[in-house]
Amino acid sequence: MKGNCYIQGMAAISPQHTFDGDLLTQPMIVTQGNRLSCVEPDYRAFIAPNSLRRMTRVLKMGLAASLKCLQDGGIHVPGAIVTGTGKGSLQDTERFIKEIRDFEERALNPTPFIQSTYNAVNGLIALQQKCTQYNNTFVHRGFSFEHALLDSLLLLSEGTPNVLAGAFDEITPEHFFIKGRIGHWKRETISNDQLYAHVSPGTISGEGAAFFLLTNTPGEQTYAQIGGLQLLYKPTPAHLGTALSQFLAQRNMQPEDIDLILTGANADSNHLHYYQLLDSYPQRTQLPFKHLCGDYETAGAFALWLAATILKEQQIPKAWFPMVTHQPERLKNVLIYNHFFGEQHVFMLLHSKD
Amino acid sequence: MAERVFITGVGMITAIGDDVAGNLQSLRAQQSGLDYTRLLTTIYKDVLPVAEVKHTTAELSQMAGVSGQEGYTRTTLLGLIAMQEAIRHAGITALQDEQTGFINASTVGGMCDTENVYFDIADPEKDGDFVRFIDTLDCADCTQRIADAVGINGYITTISTACSSSANALMYGARLIKAGLARRVICGGTEALTRFTLNGFNSLKNIDKRPCMPFDKDRNGLNLGEGAAYLVLESESLVRERNAPVLAVFNGYANTNEAFHPTAPSPDGDGAYAAMKGAMEMGGCLPADIQYVNVHGTATLSNDVAEGMALQRLFGEQTPKFSSTKPFTGHALAAAGGIEAIYAVLAIQHQLIFPNLHFKEQMEELYITPETSLLEAYPVRHVLSNSFGFGGNNASLLLSKYEG
Amino acid sequence: MEDLKQKLKVQIIEALNLQDTRPEDIDDNAPLFGEGLGLDSIDSLELMVLLERNYQIKVEDPREGRKILQSVQSMAEFIQSKQPA
Repeated sequence: MKGNCYIQGMAAISPQHTFDGDLLTQPMIVTQGNRLSCVEPDYRAFIAPNSLRRMTRVLKMGLAASLKCLQDGGIHVPGAIVTGTGKGSLQDTERFIKEIRDFEERALNPTPFIQSTYNAVNGLIALQQKCTQYNNTFVHRGFSFEHALLDSLLLLSEGTPNVLAGAFDEITPEHFFIKGRIGHWKRETISNDQLYAHVSPGTISGEGAAFFLLTNTPGEQTYAQIGGLQLLYKPTPAHLGTALSQFLAQRNMQPEDIDLILTGANADSNHLHYYQLLDSYPQRTQLPFKHLCGDYETAGAFALWLAATILKEQQIPKAWFPMVTHQPERLKNVLIYNHFFGEQHVFMLLHSKD
Repeated sequence: MAERVFITGVGMITAIGDDVAGNLQSLRAQQSGLDYTRLLTTIYKDVLPVAEVKHTTAELSQMAGVSGQEGYTRTTLLGLIAMQEAIRHAGITALQDEQTGFINASTVGGMCDTENVYFDIADPEKDGDFVRFIDTLDCADCTQRIADAVGINGYITTISTACSSSANALMYGARLIKAGLARRVICGGTEALTRFTLNGFNSLKNIDKRPCMPFDKDRNGLNLGEGAAYLVLESESLVRERNAPVLAVFNGYANTNEAFHPTAPSPDGDGAYAAMKGAMEMGGCLPADIQYVNVHGTATLSNDVAEGMALQRLFGEQTPKFSSTKPFTGHALAAAGGIEAIYAVLAIQHQLIFPNLHFKEQMEELYITPETSLLEAYPVRHVLSNSFGFGGNNASLLLSKYEG
Repeated sequence: MEDLKQKLKVQIIEALNLQDTRPEDIDDNAPLFGEGLGLDSIDSLELMVLLERNYQIKVEDPREGRKILQSVQSMAEFIQSKQPA
């Protein structure tokens, strides 16, 4: 695949204060309990009241984040819209399945059905921005956002000048309970700032929406360059190790060139062993991020947003990472390694603009 | 220059056949798959016709060779059966010989099974066997189970853009090959009938109580269907290396958006027009080069007007033969694009045009009418296959005869 | 009839979540779609659900629905015509 990919604009709604204001001075939001919820902005600044009245939560989160991202990148109509979501609009799915039961299949309101469709957010963005170009939605757990990103890289290499790529997922109380039944969450109740001290089966849940305006040439306000992306499905630990070495070697990178590694380590003892892959990398460069956003299918999008923020600001937000005592001497190359409950593994490499 | 992408194997299961040969036979016999459901629990079971695969889920698991094994939803089983045929048909004996990707499409994942146990799953007071269905709530479950059963070892993902999902899966697979990221990708979609989707389309007042009548003045909506269909896409170099027979060339594609309405197309068919035009341009085809269009043709009031207008704008008085095969298979949502892409391959291979069943009277808005007879020995070189979905998502594929 | 229209306005506002609209803002004869309240085809389906759930009136054909749902006045007249005198 030829060509480059730069992050020209971005926006994130997350359980932290990520949407507006000075990010570096924001305190970490600490949640007591294993379910982190997003700090939601005032949507009326982005979405007309007549559109807003029908929309459920994740649709608003997705649409607002995408519109803020376009504003930030200074582009009104993107060359393509590609998203990933693990679960789509849970609120709408839950509502429709209940209405089918409660009204015994009679006189059903179509809105939750329409909005439960996984590409509903994509359609809304296209509609609001009058974007008639390529539009696609990936729905594959820990590969949802990552394939949206790969699709975007393909589009840029095919000549599309810019792509709006993003991800969105929500967690509802009902779905939190359901996923708890199959061991996704810790049995003991913790707070997110203490996550890494509680290594045990399961993790804490999260949610978020993050969007990126990607271009094939750098601009004035470029956040970072995406230098590589690799997806591995159910790899063995041995294969994973070889794959990471090759991934870096193919990009002419030595382990010592990596200034920071953001890891998806989430204190889940069932799947924590995969991160041993990073044992040969200096410990001081490794930072886990899921105490900030919780775990969900598209947490990789939050990690990308975080990495790009760090590269642009050339510092690690102190309030969010109290474990960091010294800022790195250099912040040029950032590696992200994340996996979703041991199945979908992802390497992402970012470079600072200069 | 990017390599050409060839179709080297196809596999499918629908209401009109358990495999590709069975489908072809029913198409030739002009035998519709529409009937009332035998398997779905719904108050509409004697009211709304559907195109149901004529096997229970237990029978399907036997056909797929996973009888007695847990966790396979109807969605997964339909997909697995089609996948096994596609691999066999492409003459692939060991998938491990070449990194093989799998791009699947699904609209509601394992809903067909989870909707029957959802309230138990969500009820803290209840415990039981149903907990094993929790993993099947999403769209990735069916993809991964199919992949794991056959040993997929390359890119794997699932696309969900409503009714155009599997057309987009085919497009994405072809682009991975052209970019040099893979040499073989198997693409398509799987869909099982659910109360969820049946009530969804019914709440939109989009379902006809009669067998659907695409492009007919009197049409009044679609009928849902189920099934699965996969196409093996391979790069030209891999095809040469393993000396594989080529069924058709995947010559062009385009994805456009209506940006008009959450569920309805623009009345002038802007998105459909742009999608077909884009696919033709990529394949270097002029309107006169196209012999057949397998239209989306759901028989909803708005789709057929929009798609018909787009055909008229693109082809004018010289509109090629066109037909909707949804009266055969119903609208199998995420599987529809894959099913119809295989029908396009069959049209090319067997020089056939399929009839648009149930058509009687021309629509007032259009001067064109669909082909209503089965045409044998019809010279088919280039076929357009349309799939349009909610969210304004339009996909058009161009499949062409392999001529060296 | 006046009571029915008043009740309908409250129900429409609630069903369609028209947060900034009060019943007195809706003119009996003003078109509900396009101009007027600016409703769309999904709203029209929701209004048909409203008729079915609250008045036990089923509108099968969307084309028929469009005529009934022109205004609060036309909705009220339709409901009255369907109810036993």
